[in-house]
Order: sequence, then C-alpha cells, then structure tokens
Amino acid sequence: MQTRLHKVLRVEGLTGASYVLWLEGPFSAEIAPGQFAMLRTGSDWPVLLPRPFSYFDVSAAGTAASFFGKAIGPGTRALAAVRVGDEVSVSGPLGGGFPAPADGEPEPVCIAGGVGLAPFLLWTKQRATTVLYGGANREAIVAMESFPGQTTFHVATDDGSLGFHGNVLELYRSLVAAGEVDQRAPVYCCGPDPMMEAVAADCAERGVACRVSLETYMACGYGVCNGCSVAVEPAERFGGKPWARCCIHGPVFDAAELKW
Amino acid sequence: MRAGLLRTSLLPGLTLANPVLSASGCYNHGVEGARFGDVKRLGALVTKTVTPRPRAGNPPPRLWETSAGMLNSIGLENPGVERFLAEEMPRALELGPPVILNVGGESLEEFEQVTERVQDCGAVALEVNLSCPNVQGGQLPFATSPAACEEVVGRVRRVSRLPFFVKLSPNTHLVADVARAAASAGADGLTLINTLHGRGIDWRRRRPCLAEGSGGLSGPAIKPVALHFVALVRAAVRLPILGVGGIATAEDVCEFLVAGASAVQVGTAHFLDPLCGVHIVEELEELLVAEGESIDNLSSLEQ
Repeated sequence: MQTRLHKVLRVEGLTGASYVLWLEGPFSAEIAPGQFAMLRTGSDWPVLLPRPFSYFDVSAAGTAASFFGKAIGPGTRALAAVRVGDEVSVSGPLGGGFPAPADGEPEPVCIAGGVGLAPFLLWTKQRATTVLYGGANREAIVAMESFPGQTTFHVATDDGSLGFHGNVLELYRSLVAAGEVDQRAPVYCCGPDPMMEAVAADCAERGVACRVSLETYMACGYGVCNGCSVAVEPAERFGGKPWARCCIHGPVFDAAELKW
Repeated sequence: MRAGLLRTSLLPGLTLANPVLSASGCYNHGVEGARFGDVKRLGALVTKTVTPRPRAGNPPPRLWETSAGMLNSIGLENPGVERFLAEEMPRALELGPPVILNVGGESLEEFEQVTERVQDCGAVALEVNLSCPNVQGGQLPFATSPAACEEVVGRVRRVSRLPFFVKLSPNTHLVADVARAAASAGADGLTLINTLHGRGIDWRRRRPCLAEGSGGLSGPAIKPVALHFVALVRAAVRLPILGVGGIATAEDVCEFLVAGASAVQVGTAHFLDPLCGVHIVEELEELLVAEGESIDNLSSLEQ
C-alpha cells in the first residue's frame, strides 16, 4: 500500500457523465479485481476527503492504471476535469477483491449496474466470463469495448433503448430460465444498493452463492476512521461486532453475511 | 538536521522525540497506517478510546463531509478493554512510538474500572476521554460541568499511577472552568479540543445526514476554534496542553505551540494521507531549521 502522485496520461469522456481516467505507474501488478484506491487531485481538490474508486484496468507490470467513474459531485467532477500531465494522488491498493472460484465450482457470472462495472474488467482479463450489465438507458452502458474478447456481455436497460428491456435481475432470471447462464453459477455483483439487495435475495432464495462489492461513505479507506460501517451478522471475522468496516473487511462481501 | 531539534518535554519524566502525535479515534492503533510506511517518527501514538465493555458503535451513516471538514458519529466503537489489551495493544507497542492510551466510559465506575485495568499495559500515559459527543445523547456529562469533571478526574487520579491527560470538549461555555476542575483534581495535562457538535440535513428527504442526527465536526474548519480554546485554557491553567483540531501541516503545529500547546495531535488529516503525521514531523524539522526556530522558543509553557 502506498500514497503517491501519478501523472494523468489521458481522460476518456464517455456518455452519461462517466469517464475513464488513465494514470501513469508505477502501480502494483498484483491488484485483485474488486480492490480500490482513494483518489484526489494533486492540486485544487475542491473537497476535503479523497474518493474511493475500484481499479478498472492495470497494464502489464503496473506501468499504468485506470479508474472508471461518474461525475456526480464536486470530487468526482474534479477528477473528470483533470488534464494530461496533471497529478492525481492515489492511495492503495485497499480492501480485498473477488475470490477465485474453488475447484469444481462453476465460473461466476458477473452482474453489474452502471459504474458497478468497474471491478469486473480485471476479472475478465483473468477468466472468460459472462457479464450482465444494466443501466437506466443506452447512455449509461459504456466502456464495454475495454473488455477482452473472451467476455460475453448481456445488456439490460430500464427504458429498453439497448439490449434487454428491463432491469439486470430480470435479465439474469431470463438467461437462467433459457439455460444461457448456469443456474448454479455463483454471482458476483456490483452496482446500486437496491440492485445488489435484490440480486442477493434472488440468489439466497435459490441457494446460489453471491458476493457483492459495496460502496459506502468513506473518510479514510484504510481502516482507521471506523466510518464506513455496514450491518453484518456478527462473526469473528468482524471482531464479533454487528458492523463491519467496508474498507478493510470488504468491499467485497459474501451477501449472506450482510443485513440489508 | 540537528539531532534532538524537535525533542519535546511533555511531562516530568516524559520526553517525546517530537511534538506530533496521532489523535485518538483518527488512527486506530497505528497498525493500519504502518502498512503505508514507517510510523516510528511519530512523537507518540494516541489510541482509539477503549471502554470497559465492548461497544458496537452507532448505526450508519456515520460520516458526512462538510465545507473544509467532516461530521462523524462513530459512537466509541471498540472491542472492550480485555480484547484490546490482548489483541491490539501489543501490536500498537511494536510500532515504535510511545503509546498514550485513550480510555472512556459512561459512569464514574467505568472510568475508574478501565483506568485501573490498563495501568501495566505498556502505555507511557493515558488520555481520559470526557468529551465524545456521540454517546449518551451528546450530553457530555463530564465535560460540561466543572463539578462532574472534578469528580471523575479525582476518581481516575486515585487509581492511576500513570500520568494522564484529560480530553475536553469545546461544546460548553465553561471550558476554562472545566479545565481548572480537571487540574485541581489531579490531571497531569489537558487535550483540547474534541469535536464540535454539528449536523447535516438532507432537506429533500426531510432527515439528518447522519443516522444519529448530530455528530462531531472535525477538520480544517475547526482549527481556529481549537486555537482559541488552547489559548483560553493556557491562560487559565498551568498544565501542558495537547492541541488538536484541523492540524495538517508544520505551520499548523507552530501555530498551536505559540497558542500554548506543548504538543499536537493529527486527526482528520490522517484520513487524507495515512502518513500525514510522519510527513509533518519531517516538514517541521525543515521549517524550524530554515527559520532558526526551536520547539522551546515556540512553546510558551515554562517547565
């Protein structure tokens, strides 16, 4: 883990106010899918606290890395507005990632909503994966071209402007019913809370393992502020407490451990 | 660089390598920060408040960012003193800096009990947290009444062989009186300030931003308030003061020393940079050399 300034290599503006920010290395080449970093601009940062971003892509040997985000508030807008050669402070890698499936277990199917697509690019670079990707409309469906050719995408939009007309859970159910997605395959999910909660409930009902990558308010991202609590079933892994720290116990959780 | 330039005499028998400490509740017990680099250069580690029994803390959301600051409502989440001593204190001691152990409670008995229990744990001093705004409905019973402060500090004094600082609240018009009460009951030093009461409102949803309603405000926004109370108490009480509130740079440290602090604590700034305290120590050394200054020149307290 380290905190350092990285030069901006490029910023790719995408539709729906989303963007991919490429920074010059060095980065760890060992970053796991689902791990994240705390980012802020090197100068003129308009807010106090850094903002958490999943690592999107890391080039071979860590010579560059990218972060996929959406300009929503002053912090994420400032990061979208950086120019080539500016510096961005990155503190990471933080938290734990999505685990590799156990021997004999089916390949996980990834379900992403909006910028929740971010943790899955690194995953699909390691394994041929089916990704179900949902958004409000076609403008929200971005960055698929960054994924390797071995990835199978299924897209859902709420307004039907691209792909399946409906939400990503309905898409998942229809693909399972059609036999296009293995009904026993564990589900790895990242997106808005209501979507993850609905997907987790569906998986629980059918006895399918589900892991979710959560995003909460965070001040520090490395375990000292105790502010990013999420409600869990008390377990020794969480020090026997009813809250886990999203940043160090997560951000990837077994959905069965969470109290939504 | 001159060896010993930053040496800070805090209490009789307690000299620190420098006046830059971590602030309680903002650096856990130092272990997480040490994953980013060496934290040995911190003047001391001040641990997160430990209470006699485990505390789950408050429900989320516990954080809300504000203009140049943040609100928190953690609620003294901690594993309780037994588990802390068994699992966390040994790891804190391994990091290198002296450890000042922060203790808390909700009653006279709890303060006495936890103080007694930690006497031989390896800490060089204690910090008695009378001022968490996020427990007991934010009432701050021991930090807003001079009589109650005097009573609890007296009870701690009777059972403590370790020197101790009493951490006070800015959330009262009686700060100087409470400080005098702490001094007369036997405190060795004072820590000023804990967070200010504050609230964020999500007006569209007609509710507060924090689950508990109100929380404690920290960060650069409160630095002038902290400087004010350090100076006020410095004039009222002749005890060493640990200054805390919005400190993020070596310049900030010098301001607090001139206001009357003997040393300082870095809190919210550690959320932005896990090694902020260590970086401030390095900056401070360079700054004092460049300006031909010394800690003794800046610190107004006569030893």
